[in-house]
Amino acid sequence: MEKISITLDVNGKLCELMVAPNDTLLEVLRDDLDLTGSKESCGEGVCGSCTVHIDGKPVRSCLTLALEAEGSKIKTVEGLANGDQLTDLQRSFINHGAVQCGFCTPGMLMSADALLNENPDPDRTEVKKALAGNICRCTGYAKIIEAVVHANHPHEGCPDCVPYRRSERKGEE
Amino acid sequence: MRLPRFEYLRPETLEDTLDLLADHKDDASILAGGTDLLVRMKKGLLSPKVLISLKALKNLSCIQKNGGSISIGATTPLADIIASDLIQADAAALSQACEKVGAVSLQHYRGTIGGNVLQNNRCHHYNQSRFHRSGRQACHKDGGKICYARDEADRCYSTCQSDGATALMALGAKLVLVSKKNERTVDLADFYTNDGMVPFAMESHELLKEIIIPVKGGSSAYRRLAYRSAIDYPIVCAGVLLGVTDNKIDKARIVVGAMGRSPLFLSQASSSLNGKDLTDNKAFKAAAYQAMDSAAPFAVHNVGFTLEYRQAMVEKMVFWALTDAATAAIA
Repeated sequence: MEKISITLDVNGKLCELMVAPNDTLLEVLRDDLDLTGSKESCGEGVCGSCTVHIDGKPVRSCLTLALEAEGSKIKTVEGLANGDQLTDLQRSFINHGAVQCGFCTPGMLMSADALLNENPDPDRTEVKKALAGNICRCTGYAKIIEAVVHANHPHEGCPDCVPYRRSERKGEE
Repeated sequence: MRLPRFEYLRPETLEDTLDLLADHKDDASILAGGTDLLVRMKKGLLSPKVLISLKALKNLSCIQKNGGSISIGATTPLADIIASDLIQADAAALSQACEKVGAVSLQHYRGTIGGNVLQNNRCHHYNQSRFHRSGRQACHKDGGKICYARDEADRCYSTCQSDGATALMALGAKLVLVSKKNERTVDLADFYTNDGMVPFAMESHELLKEIIIPVKGGSSAYRRLAYRSAIDYPIVCAGVLLGVTDNKIDKARIVVGAMGRSPLFLSQASSSLNGKDLTDNKAFKAAAYQAMDSAAPFAVHNVGFTLEYRQAMVEKMVFWALTDAATAAIA
């Protein structure tokens, strides 16, 4: 099967690649570009762990052909942080302990990021609706939802919104 | 899961697309959003030699009002339909149905309305991985001669689980199909073959171009029941349209989906509402019961939950949809 030359705009970088027609965007991201943040779990658009942004919208990269993504701006979980500078959302995930095994986290972050871009101050129901297509098999949904709700607006009453700093905690003890 | 091999074509114009379809016919499949097609290909249910992508045909994605009707291009993403004020105002049932397809933030941007209507019939004995299916004899749809959903069935009883089609049929929608030689408009209600193997009365060289919804006033609503709302297809759904004059129903359309090989327009239940008051809950209950009675024989046990439960839930879904539509009409 003949490979086709395409240029993909991934995280602001133009990448020239040779892809087969039946390569999904996920396979190209993981295998050819070594962006292994996006995960393959179900492979049929159910679990949401392969979520990436195409032109700012969250889509499932396992059900998108690489060829179909040509000419669009693709953003993966690696493209969220600016170098070592994490986004508020990522920091909030860490502070709230919204990561258990971590497999669903890239997908959760991408879905949540798309929501926050549209609606910077979502309530719980809106977050639940936006993340409905992302499955966490550790079932750690409560913390994930809290992390997204508090991402842009830390709540004073929430103990997790205070950044967790190990050295300070040690000093207290 | 790897996709099988295929040739990928991305025509730039509608004419080129129709030429390609005419050349390749059964060997080709149309790729719009891919949220249904690629899953079926991954499971080995379908292996077209050629995929014709509609990505370059931007003018197939539009929502317009032309006089007494709304026309929706076939590749319009579900997200656009949900966001459209025009559809919200004149075809609320479609808006509600699209909102309930899959996961809010994921299927909606890739999934298209054309793909939703043309999604092939499903059956939980057939829509499984190659490995799962390899463990037993092939069913009718898989090229065999048996049916796991109904004993001694001589044909395929796969179920049409499209949310969009159920709402559109309630709204009396028409489909515009184009081919290299001609263009035809067909009522959605006449579009089904009632054969689970080949559910749509559509030639392989035809392409769904647009969907036309007549706007005659009135109020519509859609309700569905699924295992997990963000992931699963409906196991029962109902779309209703109530034509209203002077607070009385003058024409009703009740359509029940996910119960048969096509969405079912239930004429007896629908006509029982003629002349009834918008606040007449008793009439709604009676119509819902009638709907359950008429729809129940069409269903087989093939999309999850027990058959009895699904049949009983038809009444609930129709009743809720009717009350939703009546409430919207009064407001």
